[in-house]
Amino acid sequence: MKMAKIRCILISLFVIMPGKTPLAQNELPGLTQSGQYQQGILGSISQPGPIRYSPDTIYLVGTYPLNTPELIRGEGLEITQTYCRFCHSTTYISMQPQLSASAWHTIVDKMIHTHGAPIPEEEAKQIIAYLQAQYAQKDHK
Amino acid sequence: MTEDTSKTISRRFLLKIMSGGIAGLGFTQLNSAWAQISGQAVQLLPSLTGPNRNPYWNSTGPFVVYPQKLPLIQITDRPVQLETPRHYFLTPFTPNAAFFVRWHLDKIPNAINLSEWRLFVEGNVERPLILSLNDLMKKFKQVSVTAVNQCSGNSRSRFQPHIPGGQWGNGAMGNATMKGVRLKDVLDAARIKSGSLQVQCEGLDRGRGPKDKGSYRYQKSLYLNDPILHEVVIAYEMNGAPLPILNGFPVRLVVPGKFATYWIKALTWIRIITEPDTNFWMTKAYCIPDTPHGNTTPEDMERKQIKQIPIGTMPVRSFLITPDGSDMIPLAMPLTLQGIAFSGHGQIVKVEFSDDNGITWHQAKLGKNYGRYSFRTWKAAWIPKHTGKYTLTVRATDEKGNTQADEGIWNPGGYLWNKIERQEVVIGVSE
Repeated sequence: MKMAKIRCILISLFVIMPGKTPLAQNELPGLTQSGQYQQGILGSISQPGPIRYSPDTIYLVGTYPLNTPELIRGEGLEITQTYCRFCHSTTYISMQPQLSASAWHTIVDKMIHTHGAPIPEEEAKQIIAYLQAQYAQKDHK
Repeated sequence: MTEDTSKTISRRFLLKIMSGGIAGLGFTQLNSAWAQISGQAVQLLPSLTGPNRNPYWNSTGPFVVYPQKLPLIQITDRPVQLETPRHYFLTPFTPNAAFFVRWHLDKIPNAINLSEWRLFVEGNVERPLILSLNDLMKKFKQVSVTAVNQCSGNSRSRFQPHIPGGQWGNGAMGNATMKGVRLKDVLDAARIKSGSLQVQCEGLDRGRGPKDKGSYRYQKSLYLNDPILHEVVIAYEMNGAPLPILNGFPVRLVVPGKFATYWIKALTWIRIITEPDTNFWMTKAYCIPDTPHGNTTPEDMERKQIKQIPIGTMPVRSFLITPDGSDMIPLAMPLTLQGIAFSGHGQIVKVEFSDDNGITWHQAKLGKNYGRYSFRTWKAAWIPKHTGKYTLTVRATDEKGNTQADEGIWNPGGYLWNKIERQEVVIGVSE
């Protein structure tokens, strides 16, 4: 139950954050919109149309398409998705070559200790176990 | 006439859908489009899941379409990393729309308001500056430089054992004429105070990590006494056009000869600092072993005896772009081998090719010289003399005498790859 609750909070954070973030004027000057992504179909975005002049001088390109391959099904998949895609899409997992089991351990440790990912110890263990089971070289375990 | 044609097409379209089904049509169309733009596989390449190195010129991802971009190869979708397909390197200048993309953090600009955007020059200076894009274009002398922008991890998918990170093929590079103002001129206007050590640059990109971590902001610093500083440009124009937003609009830093990690996109802060920059992107990421060619072994790294230093200048590299091995070549047909070469250390003076896997070498003809930081195109006439397989290889030499080795290297970041490239081509009978 507790885990489900955390998961819910994290998912809602993920959904809310890519929305239009109000940016303090001096914090990131001129940045009108950032981090806007939209689920895309591979190779398909709207054709460019003519831009209209507007006196507010906003230069915009619209959202960036997401083409995130599905991760391999297995124990720990949900918890892995919930935490990892807070900062990056899980394409960062599926694009990796087969790494050793210890390399996946190091990567998750780096996300927590170097990059400050707020992953509790128990969840981190589950994520590592999932990655090792699905994305590690079998003979290196 | 026009109407008739469209009717025929739509009728054909319908027939195709009816006979092959919608999914079938979509797949066929995609495949032929890939073949046209890439000149490579007509079938999906198997993804890189095995223990071996990536055998293809490019990485194995699908083609994806992004704003202001031609279809490029996806490395990742959030943050965005896109690789340039091989055939765009037939010309010395890489089109802006085909130029590779590499962001570290996921909150990258979708829209920028130029009436609010400013370039800040701050820190240990007597006169901090706040400059609009117009100020940059009007108040400083305009300069331009043609320079190769190459990701430190270009060709990372060649490393053995594998290295975690973006599994780039060879297409995390591009060459463009960058126009703007000298960083030095801007710093002179701000008057650097004594006791200054480095210039730190930062753009508009942000991550979702804690504010004191590299997962929140991306910053890179250069020493003020680095000789390259005289040639660093704050560029607002790329190949005669505004920069694509994905390549750093409105301005990006250009550090000729050095890897792209220093070429800050959407550059917004230039900060003069008095202590060495110790942020994650300077001291943990983008560091190479302080050894010849940045080469080491996993065992030596584990023993923690290897000193790591920030990556800098790009080693010499050369590529065969065509023929690319995707088509059979008829025996005895006179061909032109074509490609590019570059070095961060200076002018390319020699490109050689071999058709016997590097036993004998022949000199290629160099193309027009666009300056010592640019791609140099090369060409060589070649006639295949037997059917079956040939292994074509290419190597370049720069004015400092640096050339490419035939041994691979290894380091924990997967940086500095410049091994001699090989391309297998298949010759068929012609009578």
